[in-house]
Formats: sequence, C-alpha cells, structure tokens
Amino acid sequence: MGKAKRVFIPGCSLSSYNPDLVEKTLEHLQNKLPGTGAILKCCGKPTKALGQYDKFKERYSQLQEDIDNLGAEEIIVACQSCYLTMSASSPKQKVTSLWELLPKIGLPEEMVGIAKGSDITFAVHDSCSTRDRKDIHDGIRWIIRELGYKIEEPKSTKEKTRCCGFGGMVVPANPELAQRVMKRRTSEVKSDYMVTYCAACRASMVQGGKNAVHILDLIFGGLWTSESDFPTLPKTPISGWVNRYKCKKKIVKVLS
Amino acid sequence: MLPERLPEDLVTKMNEIVEDCMGDAPPYCEATCPLHIDVQGYVKLIGEGEYKKALDLIRETTPFPGILGRVCAHPCEEKCKREEIDNALSVKNLKRFVADKCDDPKDWDLNVKEESEKKVAIIGSGPAGALAAYDLRKMGHQVTIFEALPVVGGMLRVGIPEYRLPHNVIDKEYSILEKLGVDIKLNTKVGEDISFKKLEEDYDAIFIGVGAHKSFILPIEGSDLAGVQPGVDILRKAGLEKHDKVEIGERVLVIGGGNVAMDVARTAWREGAKEVHIACVESRDQMPAHSWEIDDALEEEITLHDGWGPMKINGEDKVESITLKKCTQVFDQDGSFNPAYDVCNLKDIEVDNVIFAIGQSSEADFLAGDDSIELMRGNKIKVDPVTLQTTKEKVFAGGDGAGRPLLAIEAMAHGRKVATSIDRYLKGENLYENRDYEGTYQSWLKKELAEDEPRRERISIKMLPVDERRGNFKEVEFAYTPSEARGEALRCLECQCKLCMQECEMLNDFCISPKDLFKDIIKGEVAPLIHYSCNMCSQCTIVCPHEFELKNHFMEMRKLLVKNNDGKSPMKGHNAIEWHQKLGFSGIFTTTVGASKDKEGA
Ligand SMILES: Cc1cc2nc3c(=O)[nH]c(=O)nc-3n(C[C@H](O)[C@H](O)[C@H](O)COP(=O)(O)OP(=O)(O)OC[C@H]3O[C@@H](n4cnc5c(N)ncnc54)[C@H](O)[C@@H]3O)c2cc1C
Repeated sequence: MGKAKRVFIPGCSLSSYNPDLVEKTLEHLQNKLPGTGAILKCCGKPTKALGQYDKFKERYSQLQEDIDNLGAEEIIVACQSCYLTMSASSPKQKVTSLWELLPKIGLPEEMVGIAKGSDITFAVHDSCSTRDRKDIHDGIRWIIRELGYKIEEPKSTKEKTRCCGFGGMVVPANPELAQRVMKRRTSEVKSDYMVTYCAACRASMVQGGKNAVHILDLIFGGLWTSESDFPTLPKTPISGWVNRYKCKKKIVKVLS
Repeated sequence: MLPERLPEDLVTKMNEIVEDCMGDAPPYCEATCPLHIDVQGYVKLIGEGEYKKALDLIRETTPFPGILGRVCAHPCEEKCKREEIDNALSVKNLKRFVADKCDDPKDWDLNVKEESEKKVAIIGSGPAGALAAYDLRKMGHQVTIFEALPVVGGMLRVGIPEYRLPHNVIDKEYSILEKLGVDIKLNTKVGEDISFKKLEEDYDAIFIGVGAHKSFILPIEGSDLAGVQPGVDILRKAGLEKHDKVEIGERVLVIGGGNVAMDVARTAWREGAKEVHIACVESRDQMPAHSWEIDDALEEEITLHDGWGPMKINGEDKVESITLKKCTQVFDQDGSFNPAYDVCNLKDIEVDNVIFAIGQSSEADFLAGDDSIELMRGNKIKVDPVTLQTTKEKVFAGGDGAGRPLLAIEAMAHGRKVATSIDRYLKGENLYENRDYEGTYQSWLKKELAEDEPRRERISIKMLPVDERRGNFKEVEFAYTPSEARGEALRCLECQCKLCMQECEMLNDFCISPKDLFKDIIKGEVAPLIHYSCNMCSQCTIVCPHEFELKNHFMEMRKLLVKNNDGKSPMKGHNAIEWHQKLGFSGIFTTTVGASKDKEGA
C-alpha cells in the first residue's frame, strides 16, 4: 500500500461523474506536491444524512483506518460534504479543500488564459455546505479568472448561496420538492451556463435547465464555448458505478 | 414510528422555536389598533384595487369604517415602520376611502346568532355603547340602549364637530344597530326618565357607557362671570342644534392644550367669533393635542398662546378680558403635572368669552344611593381592567366614563371587551380566560428595514380652502381619489417576519411558520417526510433574527426515526441509498494508494 504525506480523496460524486478529471487532478497534485497518495472511498455522509449515526461511525472508521495506514497528515478534498464530514471526524488530520489549495500551487501552466476568447459567461453556484468559507469562494473565482472566463454572480451567492436542491438526501425522499428547489436556483441566474464545484450541484443545475460544468471541467477539459458539447445527466445509474471502477484503475495507474 | 415522547432536551430546544419564532407576529399597526383591524390586509387589497373586499375586511371587525376613517386618532400610524424612513402610512384616510367609495347598507351582514333570551341594557350611545350593542346583539342577546340626548353617537356627534365628522355618516353607520334589532330609546336619561334600579330589575346585565360630559372649570378669580363657558357645552350645542344657536362673542379665548380645546376654538371661529385665542400652559411641542389638530387650528387664523396659564378673568358682570401668566414649568421633577408661573410676566387679552376645555368629568347621579358600585375621582366608575366589571356583578362600565379619557377607537374596544364579558357572564363562563390580546398590545415582531428601502412620500389629502370654512360646518378633509388611494396603499412595507419562509421551499409546503410546525412536531403530529425534506442548507438560519438552526432539529428527528426503524430511514426512496453506501465502501469500488515511489517527495 505504501505511505503518503498527504492524501487526495476525490469523493463519490466526482468519481462517478468523470474519472478523467480525477486522474488529471491527481497528476497535477503529484507534480506540484510530491508525496500525495489517494483514497477512493465514501466518507459516509449519505449515511449520516439519513440519521444513521451508528452506522456512519462504523463506516467512517474504515476510511479513517485507510488514512492512518498511509500515515497521511493532510487530506485534500474536492467535495464540500467530504470537507465537512472529514473536518468533523478526522481531528488528527488537516483537511484542505482543493479550491483553497489551487490558488497556492497554481493551475497547469498551459491552461492559464485559455478562455480569453470564449463567448461564455459562467454563473457561479457556490455549495451551501461551505457557505462560510470565504477562502473557497475566492479560490473558485480566482480559478475562473485565471482561465479567462467571465463570471456572473447570482443574487444569492457566496455566504448567501442557495441550496442546489440535492442536499439532505431530499431527492429520493421528496423528488418533486427537490426539483422545485433546483428550478428555483437556476431561475436566479441570467446566463445559460453555470459552473459548480460539486458534482451533485452540477447535476442539479442541469436538472434545473442549465448547461453546467464542474470547475475541474474548466481546468482539465479544454476550452468551453457556446459550441461545446456540455455534459448532461447519466443515462443510467450503472454508468456512475462504471466510472467509479475506472477511477480506481486510474488512481492506481497514476500512483504506480 | 416515533417514541411516545421525544427526548426532554430536544423538546426544550424546539420549544424555544415555538416560543420565540416571530412567524405569527402581527404587524405593528394591527397589534397597536385597539380593535386589531387587519390593516395590512385591507391596505394590500386597496393596493390591488379590490376596494369592496378591503371594506368587507374592515367590516369584519367594526361596523364604523366611515366614522373611524374620519376621526380615528390612528395610534396604528404612530407605530408604522415607514415612519423610520419617511412618513407613516395614511391608514385612516385609506379606511375613509373605501368606506366612502363602496359601503352600501344593502351589503351589510345582518346575521345574528340564535336568540339567547337574555336582556342587556346599555346606558349611552357613544362609541363604547354602540360597539357593545352591536357585538351583544350579534351574539344573540336582546339589547336596549338608553340615550339621554335626542340623537345617537355621544361625543362622536356632540363632541367632535360636524366639519370633521358629518352627522349623516354617523346616522348611516349607526343604522346597523336598529337593522340588527337593537332597541334604541332616545331622550331617555337614566336617573331621570328611568331609574337605574328599574334597569337592574328588568335586565340580566347592564353596561354603563355614559362618557364624560362635564367640563372642569378652574376656580380662578372671575370664573363665575357671565361669558365663561364650559367647552363641551358649546360643542354639544353645535352638535345638537342648528349651528347658529350657539351664543358666542366676537373675541373668545379657549383655555386648554388638548384636542377638545382645538375643536372648541375651531367651532367658535365657525360660529362667528372674529378673534379666537387658545392659551395653554404647555409649550407647543408639549401640548397634548395631536400635532395635526394644532396645525388645522392655526390654519383657521387661531392665535396660540402656548406657555401661558390663566391668572384671572376680568370684568364688571360679564367677561371683558383675561390676564395670563407666563408658565415656567409644566411638570415637576417627578414628572407630575405641576405648573409653575412667573407672576411678573403677565399679559391681558380683551375677550368676550373665556371657554374652559381642560378636561371633563362624568356624571353618575343615577348611582347615588347605590354603594355597591364604587366610584373614583371625577365620578368615574371603578372597573376591573381585565373584564370591565364594576364592583357589582351584573354591572359593567367602560369608555370615557370608566377611567382616563379615551380615543374613539379605544372606547369601541372597551365596548367590545364589555360585550365579551357580558356574554360570558350571561353564560356563566370564566370572565378572565384568554384576554391578553384585547386592546393595544406590543407585537413581538422585530422587523429590520432594508438599507436601500426607497423613500416614498405620503400622499396628502386635499382640504377645503380656509376661506370656504368660516361660518359653516362643511367637511374640511376630502377623501382620496382612487389613484391616490392605490398609490398610498403601495407604500405599505407589509411588515412581518417569515424571512425563512421567503427562503425555504419546503417550509412553505408544510407550515405557515416554524412556530406552528415545531408545535406539531413536539405533539408528534408530523409525517417523517417533513424531516426528510430539509436540504440542510441553513438558509433559514442565516435570515432568522433568532438564528434558529432548524436543520439540526430535523436531523435529530431523523436520528430518532432511524433508531425506531431498525437503524434504517423510514423513507422508501432511501432504500437505494442503503445499497449505494454498501457499494461505496466495498472493495470493488474503493482503493487506497500511497504516493508514487519516484515522487515520494518532501
Ligand atoms: C371634543 C372631542 C373631540 C374628540 N375628538 C376625537 C377624535 O378626533 N378622535 C378620537 O379618536 N377621539 C376623539 N374624542 C374622544 C372620543 O370621542 C371619546 O373617547 C368617545 O366618544 C368616548 O365614548 P363613550 O362611549 O365612552 O362616551 P360618549 O361618546 O361620551 O357617549 C356617552 C353617551 O352617554 C349618554 N349619557 C350620559 N349619561 C346618560 C344617562 N344618565 N342616561 C342616558 N344616557 C346618558 C351621553 O348623552 C352620550 O351620548 C374626542 C372627544 C371630544 C370630547
């Protein structure tokens, strides 16, 4: 298994969404911060969200064991739910959001300024779980500007951001309500294009009727213009599991 | 699915929401209104052009929209949040607008509850007696009003001059009483035409609403001269008879700084006095009269001597002049009314009449010989402030005759209070229960104004030109036009809390405000779906003035539901999550990899 000073945990929703982005992010981290390992495992947040606290503790301890076995002192996360869950449950490790980290280590040099000529303005959707993290909000805007895209701030933004509709495991419990919340969020912005930094939020924005990308799509997915094909929703639930499996393979490959 | 009882500490925390959530907090205007008219409701309807609906809403609370729309001293406006930005909403004038525009007796609700066979006597047809009669009759009781004067209305007619409240408005709105079946006996003075004792024998309950109709006269030198007159006598004459019968000289001086003094002075001016003075011990900004009443009086060429008290009235056998002394202090250090004067600083004013308008006492002669009903200073009847019951069980009292001088709408609120008490008394019910929100109370609402709330100046009403007012009692104020009324109505800030309700989709699906929702949650009356419909986004907490963390409570409820459901969520849709989570931790889809050998780094 080996050891790692720090460990990148991409989280379930991102790995189900796009394994290539996980691969490229890990490569970038490895370049900039040698000594980075990786774990692909759930943090157990969905279990916790349902109210199954005992079960959650049991599950999280498995993840904690993995982290401790690597000897990691720092966890780098790309998901805001992971951020909160791990900050609360792994007191021995320092938990860092990828979005506060990237401004410090920089983007891949070849991407800087790539979007200067793009005709797209991206409305930023902040995740509500880290609404009080100014460094994350700033980091995201720094990234978009560094790439060269124009930004639209929704009426409710940053610390006042509104939920995408996915939070709290409402979708399976009350899908009609969740759909309304999604629609309400997207109706708040003018642009047809939105960028999120959570894969679940991205899917919600698509369900709310927008073209939406994950911020890692912007960093590692080339130039986006109104001509681009925007990622939609998975056709079947199976594709998420296929992606996760691919992700596992890619992580092993990058770190071998 | 839930345990019989929720854990104590959770209930305690939820109770904080039930206690302090302002979701049910009434707007300031409505809480302040002694009758709690749904001001915001009808103002909104006016803004939408729904004038008849607005009137109907007012009429649900009071049958006197045209009267109140003209003379209500509108305590609601003093608490209007707009006052902090520009000027209070013109609530009174909006009420008058709908009353004038669409109040048709054909539409009045004349339904009466089943007859109770109980008989109630009401002494006095002022606003207190009138609203008590209206309510009691609607409750099904037989009501008889005894009125000493040949007309109904009390001080609405024989106090407030006709240029502020035309008599046809009083007659029209009071006509609902007879339409409902209230028996009104005019020219019937209790104590003279019928004894109080007889009323006690013939009726099951009695309400004394006799007002306060006797002007105090200061016993200064010369106060017994001809030409010294009690203020309310002049107003009564002007209100009762043809206006030219009031005997008044060319030059008059009214003593008093209250609203009654303003009415007396303006009435004297209309009755032909060429030179009208008002003298009061208070300085202009201390005067008890409402600022707008003073403004209106000054407009009518009345000279105000504020800060001057009467020393003596001079004349041989009739008033020739009055000597005023400069007032140096109105209230003493304890804040009590205790005027002090500089007797070296005097001024004489030549006048034909000196009229006292410094307050009124009641006349309760008909109670002479009945010790069981206690009286207070000024012959005011002693009552229990909660029930308005006198020291005699079946006798109740209210309005100006039972304490401090009231506003018309406060007198009406007294009438309503008495009606509630008498109804309960007649049914043998508890008189004290649930009476906290009768009359003016303070709203628990805390509304923050938006910093960028735009200014919108109050739309003023048009008035009869001053030179058209002399010598007549034509109404001075005009009603709003429809476009003025709508413009004014749109100034309403619609004060309420419910900030979370503006943010949260899900709360709107399940409750009016967290207050009622958590009340039901504590009672165990809500479905698990509600707890599982919270997105846990904290938006409610951010806007909540109390920063209530609703999501934590929903989460605690989820935990309880899981605990009582074999460790699983009770929501069907969550079965899939179970599987998801199992796979998310399974070996097939997980991996843990250390850093690359060649890139172990620092
Ligand atoms: C000059 C003046 C101007 C005012 N202006 C305003 C204003 O602009 N806005 C406002 O809100 N308030 C105003 N008020 C206050 C308001 O009018 C009174 O608070 C209100 O009328 C009191 O109502 P009431 O029913 O207690 O008594 P009243 O209105 O005084 O009615 C008492 C009735 O009882 C009758 N009565 C008395 N004794 C007997 C008896 N023995 N037998 C039979 N009947 C009897 C009287 O004739 C009278 O009709 C004003 C008052 C005055 C005097």
